[in-house]
Parts: sequence; structure tokens; C-alpha cells
Amino acid sequence: MLSLQMHRQLTNPWIWGAMFAALIIALPLLVVFSNILIPGDDTWMHILKNLIPTYVINTLILMAGVALLTFIMGVSTAWLVSMYSFPGRKFFSWALIMPIALPAYISGFTWAGILDYTSPVYVFLRNHLGVDTGQYLFFNIHSIPGAIIILSLALYPYVFLISRAYFSRQSSTLFEVAASLGKKQSQIFFGVALPLARPAIVAGVSLALMEVLNDYGLARYFGVDTFTTGIFTAWFAFSHPQSALKLSAYLMIFVLALIILERTQRGKMRYDMLGAAYRPIKRTTLDNPKGVLALILCMIPFLLGFLIPLIMLSYWSSLTLVDVVDYRFTELLFNSFLLAAIASLVVTAFALFIAFTVRSFPSRFVRFLSRISTLGYALPGAVVAIGILIPFLWIDGMLTFFSSPGFRIALTGTWFALIFAYLVRFMAVGYNSIDSGMERISPSLDEASRSLGLSNMKTLGKINIPLLRGALISASLLVFIDVLKELPLTLILRPFNFDTLAIRAFEFASDERVAEAAPAAMIIIITGMVPVFLLNRLMAGKS
Amino acid sequence: MNILELTNITKKFPESQLPAVNDFNIEVIKGEIVALLGESGCGKTTILRMIAGFEIPDMGQIKLNNEIVSGNGIFREPQKRRVGIVFQDYALFPHKTVWENITFGLFRLPKEVAREKATKIITLSGLQGLEKRYPHQLSGGQKQRVALARAMAPEPELILFDEPFSNIDSMRKHQMREDIREIIKKTEATAIFVTHDTRDVMTIADKVSVLRQGKLMQTDTPENIYNYPANAYVADFFGKTNYIKAKISEDGYETPMGMIKTNAPLPASIDNVLLSIRPEEFTIKSEGHNCFCGSIVKEKFMGEYKELTCKVENPSGEPTEIVIYTSPTVDCSSEKCYFKPNEGKINILNDE
Repeated sequence: MLSLQMHRQLTNPWIWGAMFAALIIALPLLVVFSNILIPGDDTWMHILKNLIPTYVINTLILMAGVALLTFIMGVSTAWLVSMYSFPGRKFFSWALIMPIALPAYISGFTWAGILDYTSPVYVFLRNHLGVDTGQYLFFNIHSIPGAIIILSLALYPYVFLISRAYFSRQSSTLFEVAASLGKKQSQIFFGVALPLARPAIVAGVSLALMEVLNDYGLARYFGVDTFTTGIFTAWFAFSHPQSALKLSAYLMIFVLALIILERTQRGKMRYDMLGAAYRPIKRTTLDNPKGVLALILCMIPFLLGFLIPLIMLSYWSSLTLVDVVDYRFTELLFNSFLLAAIASLVVTAFALFIAFTVRSFPSRFVRFLSRISTLGYALPGAVVAIGILIPFLWIDGMLTFFSSPGFRIALTGTWFALIFAYLVRFMAVGYNSIDSGMERISPSLDEASRSLGLSNMKTLGKINIPLLRGALISASLLVFIDVLKELPLTLILRPFNFDTLAIRAFEFASDERVAEAAPAAMIIIITGMVPVFLLNRLMAGKS
Repeated sequence: MNILELTNITKKFPESQLPAVNDFNIEVIKGEIVALLGESGCGKTTILRMIAGFEIPDMGQIKLNNEIVSGNGIFREPQKRRVGIVFQDYALFPHKTVWENITFGLFRLPKEVAREKATKIITLSGLQGLEKRYPHQLSGGQKQRVALARAMAPEPELILFDEPFSNIDSMRKHQMREDIREIIKKTEATAIFVTHDTRDVMTIADKVSVLRQGKLMQTDTPENIYNYPANAYVADFFGKTNYIKAKISEDGYETPMGMIKTNAPLPASIDNVLLSIRPEEFTIKSEGHNCFCGSIVKEKFMGEYKELTCKVENPSGEPTEIVIYTSPTVDCSSEKCYFKPNEGKINILNDE
């Protein structure tokens, strides 16, 4: 006989709903993954033989370089702002997050513009100071090292955020014990703090690396052939969907390897300070010149990753604003915001539904469903797009059977396909935000409501949603921004002749019209700064 | 009439080896106040949650008002059980006022009726004047009253309390217990509460079930459980007691310190039994006729009573130490002490 637990799961509409949601969200992943087993044709063999080695090598070099650089920038600055007092510490403890608002592809074309022969900076240096370093100012950024630097400047905040949270959670007793045993500050850092923070640091670096795998705009702009650009080449240049699919499958293996690596190293040891008395860290004041040195160290990533590009973009915007902002630009703005708003509402609704189901009917199976439905965030946007496009094309093929001339229904190249793809890709963003909000609500509130006779739906509406207001707003805001700056997925799935701010900025930049790209880029950046400010206000309120 | 019947309830959580609740049975009659007593982790809260419908039993049956709500392939969701619950953390809705909290479960009733009911329960719980406050503006005791009023307002078949007094400071506890018992009895409600405190049980419960590691040890009135605990665990839970090994003979118990004669009926002779006699169930005598004689090795003044430890020499082995509570005015200056267990208060435990 079925156990009651099973019986309840089989008759519960919420669980059925979650199952359905998880299934459609997992569909693109299944499509891509199942393709590994199918043998390829000649085009694929050509790609496999001539292109894949380059893709693998470039991708691995990018990942290694970004891992190293984000580690150095993120951990050192996090350590400085959490352990020491120095001029500007308070400012940098949040300003160092700001580069997260600047997508790598925007920062990439901005820096390319700055270092270019015709850039205002170079012109000034050449004409007034006689600096002449040839075709580029200092070095050619359109290269693998250039891509590594730009990606790292855009992605180190992930490492910074997680490490800083970790360092500040550590009890000072540990460091004091090490100091009382005669260890020097450097020994404490390398011997105690760094090994302790390893799980956090690896988690941060993994996040950064996933973004590297996701990146299309920067790699294409800098001419570095990676897996993601390869998917575009196979799809648009070779018009060979099957190869795009296979490349996606291979890229997915990279991602899975990364996830497994991160999980295993985290699973082995527990570094939580369980049982130990927690005492917040008392920051040591750094005297000059050490204080100035710390200031400079924190200044570098902030200036290079945020302030200089922002100033440059503002300057360009001031030049081109009048020409660029016309009727078509407002339409573009409206389209982008509407698309992002719809997507963020859809994602938030789905995330709320699944988070509430997990909370109300917890079981291994339901938690497994929630994990499946949030898997898309680890996958590069191009992979998600291909995974949706292939089955949608197939469905469209079936639908033509029912269409007549003048009446055609199709899924590909519609807002529906785009929004569905955003749902797959950004579900985790909304889910994590809502889930952590749910955790702050005592489960007995839901139970009290249900024991008073309210249905689950009414409990959700009267108890959870009002109490989750903050989490719901932040979930939809984060998704909104992610959609607004999204590039690879939108490029593949967008309707014909449909542009977003991100695409327009990228296309202008690709046509060597960097100054015209600036206004759209500025809008993306300014919108992206909102959650950083909110986050900062939240942290200020806590302390 | 039985409001609630639990039959052979078993529940194991996947993350633990032992079942949290193991073959548990209980019947609750309408109007009764029943306590589930045990140490933390004994499964008492799990039982409460299964009754409310928040956990699903692996085995067994739960009947509410003679209808199966869990078991036999049936599972009734909590919102359809008409079981009120007062949580340990009170679980007041922080975004709703006292009035909104209390009327929360009355949404099916016409507005007028709901208002009338809420007003009645607010008066009964002494919450007049607090209707417009939010939970964070209330004291701990007020929060608990609101939680109780909210659970009682829809007049459920059964009200469950999870550790109702654990968050109340000890000064207020006593009054709170009295108040809650009064409210429950006045409204003729039926209640089950979970606690680890025997004082809660003594003051409120009509009936108590003692649990240990998911297993039911004993169910009875608090008085009977105190006087006649089924085993050493239950005996210890309710306070100090003296354990004496004995053999049953025709007219009493043969113990290492001598014969305890009794007129009370004796069970068919079992060779070795363990007796439990509470320290206050001894009478101190001035001379030794028909009494045990011991030397006082320890004397402690405890306020309302005095605790004596008497050592009784044993002709054939280790001496026996007996703890006796006596009136603090009894003079114990002499080293000798004569005492006798009270008739009818000698309890045979089920332990091996």
C-alpha cells in the first residue's frame, strides 16, 4: 500500500504544479544533454577537429586567469576592509561592489575605446605629453590577457562579497589566539584566515567562472574564440543547429565539472565556528604609509572596474546623447524595460510558487524539484537559448500543420520564447532571494494560519506575501537587472528586428561606434547600481 | 465521548536512526486537559504536530471525533481538521493587530457573529483595550493570551499547546497556568499540551502521558502517576524516590533491610521486584516497634520540609540509604531514627 506521505504527494495540486514547473524549466537542459549521445555529422567532425581545441584552450586559459585575478583582487580587498581601519575603508567596503553593475562587455568596449589610437585620452597624452606607444595606448586589449583583465574587473565583486561576509563572520578569538602564539599578521592571513575562508572563496570564484563561461559579448568583441562564441558561429555562420547543440552539451560538461568541484571541496570539511564564542573583529588601525598602501590597493579595482569606465561613458554619452536619443531610442528603452518587467514578474511568480511549495510540503522529492528548477543559472545563456530553440523549432514545425496562409502560430522569435528562456536562466536569482526571505518567517505562522482553517492559497496571500514584500521586491529587481543586461540568450532568441538596450549597445560597439553605444550602456549601469545601494542601506541598517 | 484517538502511531524521520514516535496510543475524552510529558526530543511535539496535521505518521491511525483524519489511506489537511494550536513562539501574525489576529480564523462566519465571538473571547482572556495593538507592542504573557484567544475563537474540537509556559518567566508562570486552565474549563474545550515541566502537569492536566524516546511509558492522572509510577524513569521524572529491591512473600515485602509488612493486596509472588517509596511516604516514629532503625547520616533543611538520609544496617551485605522528607519542626538531634513506610504508598515498578 502507498504510504500516506506518497498518497499526499500524489494528490497535492501544489506538488503537481511544482513538478510541472520543474519539468518545463528542465526541458532545455534535457534537450542539450541528451544530444551528447547522438553521433555527429561531417560539419560537426570539422568543428570537432579544427575548432574545438582552440575553444577548449582559450576557455581554460580565460578561466585560469580570471580565477587567479579575481582571487587576488577579491580576497585581498575583502581582508583589508574587514580587518583594518584605514582612510576610505568605509567607502570601499561598498564601493568595491560597484563594478558588479558594469557588465563585462560594456567595460570591455569602454576600455578598448580608452586605449584606442583615437581615444580622447590617448589623443591628449600624445598631443600634450608626447606619449606615443603606437597603434594602442600601452597594449592591445583585444587579446586573451585583455579579456582576462576586463572579466576579472567585472567579476571580482563576487569573490569580494562572499569573502568579506565570511571574514566578518569569523570570531576575532581565532585570530587573537594565533597572534598570542606569536604569529605575524601575514602568517595569520596565510595560515589561519585563508584556509578557513577557503570554502567561501571557492564559492565566489566558481560564481565568477560561471559568468566567464556565460560571457559572449566580451569574448566576441575581443576576438577570443570560446565555447560560447563557438555556439554562435555554429548557429549563425554555419547554420548548423546540431553543432550548436553539441557545443552546448560540451559547455555544460564544463559547468558540471565546476559545480562538482565546488561541492566536493565544500563538503569535506566544516569550518563553521560552532560552539565557539563569537566576538566581532576589532579592526586594527593601519598607520601611514601602510594605510595609504591599503587605500591604493582598494582604489585600483574600483577605478579600473568602475569609475574610469563610467566617466568615459558619461563623456561619450554627453557627446552622442542628442543624436542617439530619438524616437527609436525611446521605443528601445520601452521595449527593454517592458520585457525585463514581464520577465521579472514571471520569474518572481514561479519562484514564489516553488519556494512556497517547498516550505509547505517539504520532502526530499520537492526539494529535488526546487533544485532542478534553479539549475539554469549555472548554465551559459547561449546553452539555455539553444536548448529552447531546438524544441521550439520542432513544435513550430508541428504547428505549421495547423496553419493556413495568413494565419501562422509560432513560438520561435516571440516574446514568449524569450521570457521562457529568462525564466530558465534566472529562476535561481528570484528563488534564492525569496527563499532567504521565507527563512526569516517562522514556519509556525503558516501552520497557525492553516490550523485556523485557511487554505494554502489563502495562507500564501494573507501571511506569506505581505511578510515577504521586501524579498519579492528584491527578487524582481535583481531579475529585472539581469534581463536588462543579458546578451547571448537575447541575441539568439529575440524576435526579428527586435532590439534591447544591451543588444543596441553591443552592436554599436561592434561597429566601432563606441560613443553611440554609451547612452544605452549608461542606462544599464545606472539601473544595475540600484540594488548595490539597497544592499548597502540594508547592511548599514543592520550594523 | 472520545474527541481524539491515536492508535499505534509511529513516525520516523529520514535523518535519524530511531523512530521519533514509536507505537503511541492515547484516547482523549471531551473536556479533558491532557499533558504529554517528556524530555526534549522524546517525540511529544511530533505527536502534537501529527494531530494537527503538520506531520504525516508512517503507521497508525488518528481519529478526531470518531472520523479518521490520518491512516487507512486518508489524510486530512490541517486546515480541515478544526484543531487549534498555540505555538511555543506564539506565531502571532506580526503584520496584523490583536483584533485581526483573533478574528483571523472566523472568516467563514457572518461579520456580526464573528465580531460577537471575538469580543467574547477577548473579554474571557482579559485582552480588552489591546485590540488595536500589534504583536510587537505586547508583553510575553499578553502574546500568549492572544495566541490562545486566536486558537479558541473558531471553537475547535481540540486545542493543542506546544510548551505553553517555556517562554514565561517563573514569577508569572503560576498565574498563567491557573488562567489557562480556567479559560479552557469555562469554554468546555478539550486540550492537549506538551511540556517537560512536571509542575505544569500537576497544576493543569487531568491526565498525563509520559514519553521516553518516542515510547509511551504511562498514562494516568498526575496524582496516580506520582504515587504509582510504572517504572523508575517515570518515578524519577516526578521527583525523588527510594528504590528498594524486594521479594514478595505472603504478608509483605522482604527487603535487604528487613520485612515490610502490608495489608494491601499483593501481586502473585514474583521473586524479584523493585519497590519505589517516595521520601514523604515515611512516618518518623520515636521508638522502634515495627519500624526500621537507621542512623541519620545527612540532614538538610529545605524550607517547607527537611530531608533526612538514614542509613539502615543490613545484616547480610551493603547498608541501605533511605531518603525521608519530614516536617522541618521534627527534632532530629538524636542519631538514631525510627521510620515506617506508609500503608498503600509502596509501589512496585515494572522495571526488571
